[in-house]
Amino acid sequence: MDPVLLLLACATGAALTAPLGVLPLKSKRATPLRWVGWANALAAGFMLGNGIVLAEAGLAYPPLLGATGGLLGVMFVFWTHVVSGTVDLDLNQLQNTAPDYGYRILLVGTLHSAAEGIAIGVAMLHSVPLGVATAVTFAIHNIPEGTILGAVLIPKGVSRRHAAGLAAATNAGQVFLAVTTYAVLQALPMAIPVGVGFAFGSLVYLAMSELLPQAYHQAGTTAIALVASIAMGIVVLLGGTNL
Amino acid sequence: MTPAVAVFVYASITALATGLGALPFAFVKEISNRSISYANAIASGLMLGASFGLVVEGSEYGRLQTILGANLGVAFILLTQRLLRRHPIEFGSFQGSGARQMLLVMVVMTVHSISEGVAVGAAFGGGMKLAFVITAAIAVHNIPEGLAISAVLRPKGVSVAACAGWSVVSSLPQPIMAVPAFLFIESFRPALPYGIGFAAGAMVFMVLVELLPEAYDRGSKHATALIVCLTLVAMMLFQQTL
Repeated sequence: MDPVLLLLACATGAALTAPLGVLPLKSKRATPLRWVGWANALAAGFMLGNGIVLAEAGLAYPPLLGATGGLLGVMFVFWTHVVSGTVDLDLNQLQNTAPDYGYRILLVGTLHSAAEGIAIGVAMLHSVPLGVATAVTFAIHNIPEGTILGAVLIPKGVSRRHAAGLAAATNAGQVFLAVTTYAVLQALPMAIPVGVGFAFGSLVYLAMSELLPQAYHQAGTTAIALVASIAMGIVVLLGGTNL
Repeated sequence: MTPAVAVFVYASITALATGLGALPFAFVKEISNRSISYANAIASGLMLGASFGLVVEGSEYGRLQTILGANLGVAFILLTQRLLRRHPIEFGSFQGSGARQMLLVMVVMTVHSISEGVAVGAAFGGGMKLAFVITAAIAVHNIPEGLAISAVLRPKGVSVAACAGWSVVSSLPQPIMAVPAFLFIESFRPALPYGIGFAAGAMVFMVLVELLPEAYDRGSKHATALIVCLTLVAMMLFQQTL
C-alpha cells in the first residue's frame, strides 16, 4: 500500500478508538481507574520505545536542529495543559469537577491530538513499522483519554452518545496533521530533524509527565514492569534503521 | 589489569561515589525535597539513556535473546522488590522507630545494589569500550542514593562522615556482585545478548519503579519529565560520540 494511504488509514484508526473509552462508563458506577492505569502504562511503554527509536535516528542529524525540535515538542505538550488549565488533573476527582472543566478537557484533548498527529507523520517517514507502531500507541492512548473525557462530561449531563462523538471529534485533527506532516517533511527534508525532535520530545514528555505518574497511582508495580518490557521490545524490534 | 580486576575497580569507584551523596550535608543542615527530586530525575535520564544504548547494542548480537534477557531483568527486580517488601515486617520489632527506619533504608539500599552490581557486571560484558560510560552513569546514579540514605541518617544525629560511610557500605555489593556477573558473561559469549538485555531490563525497571516515583513525589511531574528528556538525549549523544 502507498505509505500516504497507509498513514491515512492508521491515523484514522487511532482517532476512532477514542469513543471506545466511553463504553465502560455507566452513569452511577465509579470510573474504572485501574483499567485507565493499565491502559496508560501500555501507552507509556509504546511512547517511550517509539521515542527512543526516533531519538536514535535523530542523532544522525546536527544536534542543534533536533534539540530545537525536542524542546518545541516538550513545550507544546506542557503548554496544552497550561492553556487549558489542566496541569494538575486529578483522576480521583473526575466526578465533581468545576463546571468549566468539560471545556478544558475537550481543549486539552484536541491540542494533544495535534502533537500525536505530527508524531505519527514523522514516525511513518522513519519507517512503515514505526509509523504503524506509533499509530497503535495513540490508538491505545486515546481509549483512556476517551474514558476520562466521558467521566468528566457524563456527570455534567452529556449523554454517552454525545461524549463518544466528542471523543472522536477531539482526535480528528490528528488525521489531518499526520498526513500534512508527512507531506511537508517530504517536500522540505531540511525540517526532518526538527520534526524528529518534536516527535521525540512530545512522546517521551507525555509518557513521563502524565502517563507514568497516573500508572503508578492507578495500576501499580506490575503495570510498570509492562512499561519497561514494551519500551525495550520496541527498541529491539524497530531500532537501528535510519531516516 | 585483567578485565575482572578492572570491573572490580570500576564497580568500587561507583560504590565510593555513593559516599559523595553525604557531601551536601556538610554545607547545609537540611536538603530540600526538590533537589532530591532533581537528582533522581537526572539519574533516571542518564540510566535510561545508558540502558536503551545497551538494548540497541544487545540487539546487534541477537534480538530475541536481548528481549528475553530484558524481561528476565525486569522480573528479577520485580522479585527482589517483592522480597524486600516482606522484610520491613521482620525488622519492625528490632529497635526503636528511628533506628528501625535507618536500618530499613540501609537494608533496602544494600539489597537493591546487589541487583545493581549484577547489572554493572553484565553491562561490562558488552566490552570495556562502554566502561567509562557505565561507570559514570552508575556513579552519578549512586550519588542521589547516598543523598537519600544521608537524608534519613543525618537528621537522626549521624555525623556527615558516618553518613558517607554507610552510603558506601550500601553500595559494596556492587563490586562484589559485578565480578562474578562479569565472569559469567565473559565465559559464555553466546549468553551475551541475554546478559546485556538483563542489565538493561534491570536498570530500566529500577529507574521506573524506584527513582522516578520518588522524583514525582518530592518535586513536580513536569520538571521531572523535562529533566529526564534532556538527560536521556544527552546520555545517548554522549554514548554515540564516545
